[in-house]
Amino acid sequence: MKVLFVCSGGLSSGIILQTLQEEATKQGVQMKIKSVGTEQFETEILNGWDIAMVAPQVRHRYQQFKAAADLVQVPCEIIPLQAYSPLGGSMLLETIKRCLGID
Amino acid sequence: MEKWTYWLEHKLASPMTKLSEQRHLRAIRDGVISALPFIIIGSFFLILAFPPVPEQTWIAQWAQQHRSEILIPYRLTMFIMSLYISCGIGYHLAKSYRLHPLAGAQLAIAGLLLTIVPTIINGNTFVLPMVNLGGHGLFVAILVSIIAVEILRICQTHRLTITMPKQVPTSVARSFEALIPVAILIGLMTLFTVILKLDLHAIVSYAVTPFVRAGDSLLGVLVPVFLITFFWSFGIHGVSVVGTIVRPVWEVYLAKNAEAVAAGHPIPYISPETFYQWFIWIGGSGATIGLAFAMLFCAKSKVSKTLGRTTIIPSLFNINEPIIFGAPIVLNPILIIPFIICPILTATLSYIVTYIGWVHPTYIMVPWTLPAPIGAYLATGGDWRAIILVLTNILISFLIYLPFFKMHDRKLHRLEKNNQTNF
Repeated sequence: MKVLFVCSGGLSSGIILQTLQEEATKQGVQMKIKSVGTEQFETEILNGWDIAMVAPQVRHRYQQFKAAADLVQVPCEIIPLQAYSPLGGSMLLETIKRCLGID
Repeated sequence: MEKWTYWLEHKLASPMTKLSEQRHLRAIRDGVISALPFIIIGSFFLILAFPPVPEQTWIAQWAQQHRSEILIPYRLTMFIMSLYISCGIGYHLAKSYRLHPLAGAQLAIAGLLLTIVPTIINGNTFVLPMVNLGGHGLFVAILVSIIAVEILRICQTHRLTITMPKQVPTSVARSFEALIPVAILIGLMTLFTVILKLDLHAIVSYAVTPFVRAGDSLLGVLVPVFLITFFWSFGIHGVSVVGTIVRPVWEVYLAKNAEAVAAGHPIPYISPETFYQWFIWIGGSGATIGLAFAMLFCAKSKVSKTLGRTTIIPSLFNINEPIIFGAPIVLNPILIIPFIICPILTATLSYIVTYIGWVHPTYIMVPWTLPAPIGAYLATGGDWRAIILVLTNILISFLIYLPFFKMHDRKLHRLEKNNQTNF
């Protein structure tokens, strides 16, 4: 699955991505992930993603992200606070799976 | 407790975040941010022109002899930042209305230029005074850019455009579409500047002076500092919310400080954004560098030890979301206390130290991901005392976070012992 992350500058979500990638490898889940800053989101979302995950600290901009994602029919969800942590890899993976309807 | 946090988040924080997402404020924010690369690179030439080396060295001598030439790139970028910013605001506002962004940017630039009267030298050489394109003109630039795009929008919604037949290529049709809004904008601005001879810059500057002064007072620093950590306490990007409203003023301070240095005058303002970045937000918002060290060296619980190891490197580069959400600080009544108190203390100390002249005010913008001692040294134009202030603030941060971290860590440790954790 292809997951796009958006946070303020694309840096902090980059760190969270490493944790997610490790968890995915551990569980044997094939994943392509990328993190972008709020500026690049609207262009990047056009490049064929399965789901867009919004970092909790920019959740006040969720409506804009969702509007952009809706245009290309990509689901867009806010990451729960507890999952956005270097220790939240498995919770984050669970959240993504649930949002995509995969067990 | 839960009711209280619910009230704080939903009744207090969320209306403010909504305000920061207001269309025009958003366009101002994105417009200002779009100009930052030019400000960062432009301000670099100030370091070249005033190198932080003793006056007798050849580098200093060379810089002194060629100062006005070295400063030319600065003059054409940071010194006229309002031109770049108005272009950015016009672009982003037009885009948010789903209008043609380039037309919005061009209209905004035209609007700003038409607030300035060229000087005529030798009868036929026209010279544009640059000062109002700089920090001094920023508020006018914001105002005019918004008016320009609103004119474009009103013309489009009321179909006040010249529409070409479908066979005409899009780019040609676009230039005709813009004719009426451009005519209205230019007519309006000419009326103000040329016919009525109104100096918009003087008027707006008079109106905003009290706010600009207040923002540079100690209270003017502490209020945004508190609000930023307050928003982060709920896990909302505080600088992104507060900066949307305050950043234009921060940029004016930076621009005027840089202008003063380039002109050889004393530096007027204490608190451009660079002041917050390098002296207060060490390790990220909330000055969490001390917490990162506390985790690294004083943790008992496994969770904290792991976090300390993973968050220290990002912390050195001022990225602290892993700590804010990992520790967590968010919605954690114990760690929120130092998270709010520590920046208030370091801000007060840094303000006083800068005020009495022990450390140069900042006037150079460098990327925010540099480690704080380096960033502070460069931002102050090479003042070694800035490094001492940063190190002092790091120590303060460590001492304030430590007792609260220990309390928090003991709780985690106990939980781990009882095997009740899910980690």
